[in-house]
Amino acid sequence: MAESTTVPPGDGGRLRRRTSLIICYVALATLALVWLLPIAYSIATSFKSATEIAYSGFSLLPAHWVAENYVTLVEGASSYPVLQWFVNSLVISTSHAALTVVVVALAGYGYTRMRFPGRDALFLTLLGISLFPSVVNLIPSYKIVQTLGWVNSPLAMIIPGLAGVANVFLVRSFMAGVPRELDEAARVDGAGDFRIFAQVILPSIRPVLIVVFLFSFTGSWNDFLWPTIVFNDIERMPITAGLLLLQNMFGDYSKLGQLMASAVLAMIPTTVLFLAAQRYFLSSLNLNAGLKG
Amino acid sequence: MRRALRAAPFIGPHLVLFAVFGLLPGVYGLYIGFTRWNLLGDPQFVGLDNFHEILFDTESVFHDQFVNGLVNTLIFVAVSVPLLIVIPLLLAAGLSRKDLKGAGFFQGVFYIPGLISVSAGAIAWVLMFNRELGPLNNLLGTDISFITTQPWAWLTIFVLTVWAGIGGNLVIYRSAISAVPRELHEAAQIDGAGTVRRFLSVTLPSIRFPLLYTMVLTTVGSFNVFGQPMMLTKGGPNSSTKVLMMNIRDLAFGTGASIAGMAAAMSMLLGVVLMLISAVQFSVMHRGIRG
Repeated sequence: MAESTTVPPGDGGRLRRRTSLIICYVALATLALVWLLPIAYSIATSFKSATEIAYSGFSLLPAHWVAENYVTLVEGASSYPVLQWFVNSLVISTSHAALTVVVVALAGYGYTRMRFPGRDALFLTLLGISLFPSVVNLIPSYKIVQTLGWVNSPLAMIIPGLAGVANVFLVRSFMAGVPRELDEAARVDGAGDFRIFAQVILPSIRPVLIVVFLFSFTGSWNDFLWPTIVFNDIERMPITAGLLLLQNMFGDYSKLGQLMASAVLAMIPTTVLFLAAQRYFLSSLNLNAGLKG
Repeated sequence: MRRALRAAPFIGPHLVLFAVFGLLPGVYGLYIGFTRWNLLGDPQFVGLDNFHEILFDTESVFHDQFVNGLVNTLIFVAVSVPLLIVIPLLLAAGLSRKDLKGAGFFQGVFYIPGLISVSAGAIAWVLMFNRELGPLNNLLGTDISFITTQPWAWLTIFVLTVWAGIGGNLVIYRSAISAVPRELHEAAQIDGAGTVRRFLSVTLPSIRFPLLYTMVLTTVGSFNVFGQPMMLTKGGPNSSTKVLMMNIRDLAFGTGASIAGMAAAMSMLLGVVLMLISAVQFSVMHRGIRG
């Protein structure tokens, strides 16, 4: 439609446009298929029986759909406590995300609404320090966690990540956009800082807090290197670290179905969160990048 | 002073956490690179010994591990960074067509793997690459041991990386492209510029900031690569995909005695490489934005 107001395309132009659109669709559809295939094939394989996997050779879909692999996981009859890992991950990720929101919202208020000497310099210093490569922190972080007695404790995954500065930066920028007239009106009514924070600021920054929650949750759920270091007790680790132990099941086709069911289980929470809160996930990337046009 | 005290309940919690889990490990990490240490006793200061051994002692196993790990990490960075920039960029350009329907759906499909943990995603792909049961060998009629032979082992790592890694950049590029003023395109069209020409001389320059921003983040992320080779190839065959982070983790937390001081020194060297590269990219970015 817009084209007709600028350069009226001749018939050749329209035909070319049409062809290129079709090529676009075909390319995108093919790629989308490739992107979904590993997930779909994992799900399909997780519904194959052990005998089918071991003896029937390759097939995309199960000859008979059976739930035995999931039943094994749920009943705890698998050789590994997969369901326990799943619960561990849920506890870790939910607490980490909830605490992040609290810590970050409080700090955001402090850095935008409170006046004290050196406030902005302090924040910029934190931001600057946080830009140094985090790989250097890895070994000492383990030592600190060990000293605190948190090896094999969910705290090792819940607490250290709360020190991040990026989320404070995000919330601080968002909060700076909340009109000060709102606070001042409340202050005239005799509200103190905590009331202004809870009743004025928190409701107005809800979207960014949801974004912080979602990304903290998925980040914590998917964290891999750190949990392989701070957990060696099989019962207590999260599912990402657990799946590393399950890898050896690939040699044993009678357990492959269980392995795929475990992997599918690990994919569910973050994927469901995305489907339920897509617009928050997508808007956040612009917030993070500070690129909102 | 009273004002600072009033602010304490708000910024205090984060500040304390930052001091303990952000600042302290950073400072401590810089120190233990100069020590001999097994994570247990007191670190023994040895000056530049670790660095000298890692960088120059060709007899040393740590030197071999560092060089091999760094080379493999550089191979990973050199291949994956361009892929993680160019593929999402082309997809974003395609999805930004006004006459295309279902752009949101496609974007969702490409985004979801990024929300799946590297361990779950890797298991899905190991099955895809499985010699007997994988669709790849069966549909292509080949019989390749993807995970255990080169160059296929690298291929599996790049496939998993691209599969999981394009979504984030795609979303950033798409929203950046949608913010390019339509008048620019129309003006170029009147000048007779075709689609490709307009992409190169209108779209790309207009989104150069997000482009460079994603380049820096993608590069830094790629240098820290660990999960994909750990889950897929375990660094094999013959350590040919063993990246630096795997060496650092093995030395500090592996099954043998911990050699944490040496590992910390390697972390510092990797950190220096990262800072240098970020500095170069930032200065290019700065020039790009002024120019």
